[in-house]
Amino acid sequence: MSAATAAVATPSARSARSRRSGGPSGPRQRAERREAIALVIPALLPIIVFSVIPLAVGVALGFTNATLARNATIEFIGFDNFVKLAGDTAFWNSFGIGIVWATSVAVLTGVCALALASLLNANLRFKPLTRIIVLIPWAMPPVVTGIVWRMIYDVNSGPLNAALGWFGLGPVNWLGDFSTALPAVIVVGIWSGLPQTTVLLLAGMQSIPTELHEAAAMDGANGARRFWHVTLPGLRSVLIAITSIDFIWNFNDFGIVYVLTEGGPGGRTMIPPLFTYLEAFRNREIGYASAMGDVLVLAILLILSVYIVVQFRQQKEGRS
Amino acid sequence: MKKNHGIVALALLSAGTLALAGCQQGSASGGGEDGDGGDGAVTLQFQSLSDQPGAQAAVSAAVDSWNADNPDVQVEILQAGWDGAYDKLITQFTGGTAPDIIHFDAASIVPFASDGYLADLSDGLSDEVLADVPEGIWDSVTVNDQIIAYPSTMQSYMVFANADLLAAAGVEVPTGDSMTWDQLREIAQATTTADVYGLGWGLGSPAATVMTLAQGFGGDFFSGSGDDVQIEVGPNELEVPERIHQMAYEDASLDPVSLTQSGSDVLASFYGGTVAMTVQGSFQAANMAGDAPEDLNWVTLPPLAGSEGALQAANPQTYSVNIDSAHVEEATAFLNYFASGETIGAIAQADALIPASTSAREIVATETGGENGWDQILASADGLVGAPFLHADAYAAWKDTVLNPALQQYLGDQITADQLAQQLTEGWG
Repeated sequence: MSAATAAVATPSARSARSRRSGGPSGPRQRAERREAIALVIPALLPIIVFSVIPLAVGVALGFTNATLARNATIEFIGFDNFVKLAGDTAFWNSFGIGIVWATSVAVLTGVCALALASLLNANLRFKPLTRIIVLIPWAMPPVVTGIVWRMIYDVNSGPLNAALGWFGLGPVNWLGDFSTALPAVIVVGIWSGLPQTTVLLLAGMQSIPTELHEAAAMDGANGARRFWHVTLPGLRSVLIAITSIDFIWNFNDFGIVYVLTEGGPGGRTMIPPLFTYLEAFRNREIGYASAMGDVLVLAILLILSVYIVVQFRQQKEGRS
Repeated sequence: MKKNHGIVALALLSAGTLALAGCQQGSASGGGEDGDGGDGAVTLQFQSLSDQPGAQAAVSAAVDSWNADNPDVQVEILQAGWDGAYDKLITQFTGGTAPDIIHFDAASIVPFASDGYLADLSDGLSDEVLADVPEGIWDSVTVNDQIIAYPSTMQSYMVFANADLLAAAGVEVPTGDSMTWDQLREIAQATTTADVYGLGWGLGSPAATVMTLAQGFGGDFFSGSGDDVQIEVGPNELEVPERIHQMAYEDASLDPVSLTQSGSDVLASFYGGTVAMTVQGSFQAANMAGDAPEDLNWVTLPPLAGSEGALQAANPQTYSVNIDSAHVEEATAFLNYFASGETIGAIAQADALIPASTSAREIVATETGGENGWDQILASADGLVGAPFLHADAYAAWKDTVLNPALQQYLGDQITADQLAQQLTEGWG
């Protein structure tokens, strides 16, 4: 016991000593700092080359009139793109659809995953098997998910309408009808986002001490009350993190909606990434499209900041 | 401490958002590519989109015989698909990796020409090749007085009918040079029963069909060319969508579900006998000859005629040369060779498309003898005219962001014809 304490104490004592003797710019410190830099650079370089520089270029393009034309001259035009964007109703419509889409998917995924995780956390039979089955949607690339669901939703030969037909209902033109297209796409978004959310919540549930549940049970709390007063508060941080991440992912999601509807019918599912893609690659105005990207990043940051600050403030109040 | 948690989470999320958003940018730079082979022979890359086995065979036959005759200039076929071809090309061009010879269609290739990516073929194409194709079709591949592509084959929209269902409804299969829209409406009404719609029309992406058929009513939409193009959406332009709308919602003789589907989805309904007629691109005749059920007795009806006659916009498939290719001359020489009546005729026959050149059209007429709907398909060729929308620079973008969504809303009975006209006009420019 005492040996362990001594071993732990030594490095800090040594560093304190060396700090006293050598000072911040001694030859040994400089050598150490060089070593540290040499060790960090190989890890940092790919991040700078593949992430930071493209990101900076992308943000900067928003302030230019860049197009995809051959040997296009790129001129800096200040905030012109953003001024034009402010009056672009088609973009703001698409932005509104994006908010509805990302919020519904994030919130509903959270609710469904909570229910599913509770079920998987309970002591049911075939637990290992069911936990694996739940992961299946995660293994599917978004394009495959989109194609499979397009078949399910197919108005003439889809199994969903066939099932409705058994009860004498339908057929419903799920992806073609103006009122059902967005909800139908949201269901697919939830389905494909469910596994990772469930796994994270399940891990969170298992980190809640069983003593708390036992103590609550001793005090006479039933299952629902224990869920409300023990499980949910214990999961709060995980829940906030995962719904935020789900929101970002879905707001930026492209594959599923593109494969399912390409933004149709009549622009009813035209989420911002699709709109930006059309501007960049069909209209070939990447300067303007980059400005849209800049605005979207800022908007997401703003929405999430408000959400997270409010959530953590409530948590603080709840504990004090 | 707890406040710190919030800030750290926020910082991580910011980093995450920025990283995710970083994926959407491209770079604007052109570039050439060197196609020299190892032993001094030039290798040309030829990106072909032909998807029918017969057409692919015709393309490779032409390439093989060229390669045998020209050991110094070898052509290599890169097979690609029509799906996503635009995205592929724009990535190739901006990344500087576009092939030397490019197969596409006029409406989609014109934006690349305006952006300066395609070589001028006016001087490179031989006089024979130039004389073989009518003036009006050259118009549709001319940008800023430069011929930017060789037009090969064209599609027209044809009405295919289930002859048994027409007979059961007591309708005589129309004959003659053309059929009016009123006739189409009458047949659709007559053949509609409790289980069968008279007409199924795959208009999930209605833009191309409407723009093409609008020519029959003198619906030009645009005047001018290049950057300076004005739009006008009047009664002539609205005639086609209004007639489709009328059949779908007043007569209930056109299956409204089909208006949200693709052409091939509706073909499945046609095979299944739940629609009596369907309007499709002529190329579907090639698929029907192969895929249609044995007992389906299908016929091709005469070309649809509006007030101006059986006119449709000619939007030919094209073969262009990349201006940044190291071997523009050799590539153009290959196009001269490729443009022979035999090659284009064979491609056209396999694809069930109309050859643009006179020599190829004669070959197809002789070889098919008018079977499998060819009499009507070739008859519709006389009505193919150059269309103003091919010369409007911003058409490709307007089509995706304005025209398609607005038409979907109108054909989905969500907006009125006046609102349609308003959306189309305000969305331009």
